[in-house]
Amino acid sequence: MNILRLYFKSIGMLLRSHLQYPGSFFMQTLAQLVMEGGEMMVVILIVDRFENLAEWSGSNLYFFFGMMAVSFYLTELFGRGITGDFPGMVRTGRLDTFLVRPRGVLTQVLCGGTDPRRITCIAVGVAALIMGSRLSGIVWTPLKALALVESIAMSCLLILGLFMIEGIFCIYSVKSVELVNAITYGGKSACQYPIDIYPTPLRALFTVVAPFSLTMHVPASWILGKPLYGWPSWTAFVTPLSGVLVFAIMTCLFHLALRHYRSTGS
Amino acid sequence: MSYIEVSELKKDFIVHKKRQQGKLLREKDTVHALKGVSFTVERGELVGYIGPNGAGKSTTVKILSGILTPDSGSAQVGGIVPWEARKEHVKHIGVVFGQRSQLWWDVPIIDSYNLLKDIYRIPQGDYESRLKELTEALQLEPLMRTPLRLLSLGQRMRAELCGSLLHRPELLFLDEPTIGLDAVSKLALRDFLKWENREYGTTIMLTTHDMEDISALCSRVMVLGHGQKLFDGKLPDLLERFDTIRKVSVKYDDPAPELHLPEGVTCEQAADTLEITYEPAKLPTAQLLAILQDSGNIRELTLQPENTDHLIAAMYKELDL
Repeated sequence: MNILRLYFKSIGMLLRSHLQYPGSFFMQTLAQLVMEGGEMMVVILIVDRFENLAEWSGSNLYFFFGMMAVSFYLTELFGRGITGDFPGMVRTGRLDTFLVRPRGVLTQVLCGGTDPRRITCIAVGVAALIMGSRLSGIVWTPLKALALVESIAMSCLLILGLFMIEGIFCIYSVKSVELVNAITYGGKSACQYPIDIYPTPLRALFTVVAPFSLTMHVPASWILGKPLYGWPSWTAFVTPLSGVLVFAIMTCLFHLALRHYRSTGS
Repeated sequence: MSYIEVSELKKDFIVHKKRQQGKLLREKDTVHALKGVSFTVERGELVGYIGPNGAGKSTTVKILSGILTPDSGSAQVGGIVPWEARKEHVKHIGVVFGQRSQLWWDVPIIDSYNLLKDIYRIPQGDYESRLKELTEALQLEPLMRTPLRLLSLGQRMRAELCGSLLHRPELLFLDEPTIGLDAVSKLALRDFLKWENREYGTTIMLTTHDMEDISALCSRVMVLGHGQKLFDGKLPDLLERFDTIRKVSVKYDDPAPELHLPEGVTCEQAADTLEITYEPAKLPTAQLLAILQDSGNIRELTLQPENTDHLIAAMYKELDL
C-alpha cells in the first residue's frame, strides 16, 4: 500500500508542476484532442466509404479503435515514466539517482512521470467505445463489462512491457534501438483495427511477439458477439492474461539487466 | 573491523570503438577502471579522494553506493555488501553527484523533500526537526517554494545537500561538490560539511579536483591513478613529497645581468622579468636571494605563492598519470 501512496503523491506533485503554466497546458491538451480526434476522423471516413471491413461492420471498428485509444493513452497518462524517456534515463545515467534510494527502481521510474495532456485522447477513446457499443447494439452483461475492464488493464500492462524493451537494450549497449517503436507505436496504429484483416506475418507479430490481438481483439470480438477465429467464450478471459505475462517477463529481464548496468561517466 | 572495508576491488568496462570502414564488427576495447584497490575508512573520518579524470574515482564511489557491481574483490560498508543488499545499504548513505540532480527539476524544493520523506520512510517528527535544522544551517528558508530549475548553482548544491542528508545517513559521498561554485559558496559549503561531520559523526568521502577542498576539510587523502591507489595518508605528507618546487620572479634595472646559478636551478626570461625555478631543499631561499642581490640592482622581486594546481600537476607528472 505504501508504494501506491508514494505513487499517487509523486503523480500529484508532477501534476501541480504541469499546471504551473496553465496556458501552455491548456493549449497542449487541446493539440492532443485535435491529434486523436483526427485519427478518429480517419476511421469515420473509412467506415463512411466502405461500410465494412472483412466481416466487421463500421460500428465494430469504432469499438476496436476506442479500446486501443483508451488502453494506450491510459498507459501514457499513468505510466509516462516508462513510455516517456526510459531509454534516455539509462543513457544519461539518471538511473543512478534511483539506485541510491531504498526503493524499487521500476517503482521510482513509474513515479517519475505522468502525462495529463492525454486526458483528451482518452476522452476521444471513450466516445468511440460508446459510439461503437451503441451502433453495434451490444447488450451489456456484468461478464462483458468484466471482459472489457480486464482487456484494457491487460493491454496497459502489455504496452508498459513493450516500452521497457528499449530501456533494457540500452542497459547493454547504451544505444537506442528505434526498431522497438515498430511494435509500440506501430502496434498502436495497426491494432486499432481487428487483427484478422492483416496477412499472416503481421498477425503472428501481434499475436506472439506483441500480443495485442490476445489482450484486445479476442475479448473485444467476443463482446461484439463475433468471437475471433470462432474461439470459445473462456478464451476472452484467459488470452488477455498474456499482457501481465509480458510485463512480468520484461520486469525480470530489467532486473537481470540492472546487474550489468554500467552507468555513465560524470 | 573498520566501517568501510575495500579489498582488491576490480572493475573493467568494455568500450565499443567506432566502427572502422570495411570492417563488419566494431572493435571492442577493455578499459581497466579499477585494478585492485584496497583501503579502509573508520567511522567519522573525512576522506578526500583525488586523481585525474578517468582515474577510477567515480567508479569506486558508484560501487560503494551500490550502483555498480565490481568484477572481483570485496567491499563492505557497516557490514553490508552494497551491491548485494542495495535497498538496505542505501538507507544509510547519502550521495551528491556534482553535475546530476537528485531533486525534481520542475517542483519547489520543499515538495521534493516531502517526497524524499516518503521514499526513505522518515517518521514525521524526525523529518520536521531535521528539515528545520538543515534549512537553517544551509540558509534555505527563502528558497523553499522555488522550483529547482530557478536556483543558482550554489543554491542548488545547498538544496541537493539538504535532500541527501534528510534521512540522517551515516555515510555521505560527495562527487565534486564545489565544482563551479563562487568563493563565498565554497567556503559556506565547507563550513557546513565540517559542522555535519562534527555534530553527527557522519563519515564523508569526497572526490574533487580542488586542492583547497582537501586542505580545508580532509584529514586524510587518497590519490588514485590508472585504477590504482598511489597515496594514502595525511595531506602534509603528500605536500612534503610533491610540493618541492618554488618560483621567484625578478626585475633588474636595465640591462639584466648574466646570472650564475648553481646546478638544478632554471632561469627563463620573459620580457624584462626573469623567472627562476628552484628546489628549496637543495638551494635554500636565502642563498638564492644572496646570489640574485650580488648580480645586480634589483628593481622588483616576487616570491610566488605555492599553487596547488601546479602541485597536483607536478604530482600527476611524477606518478606518471
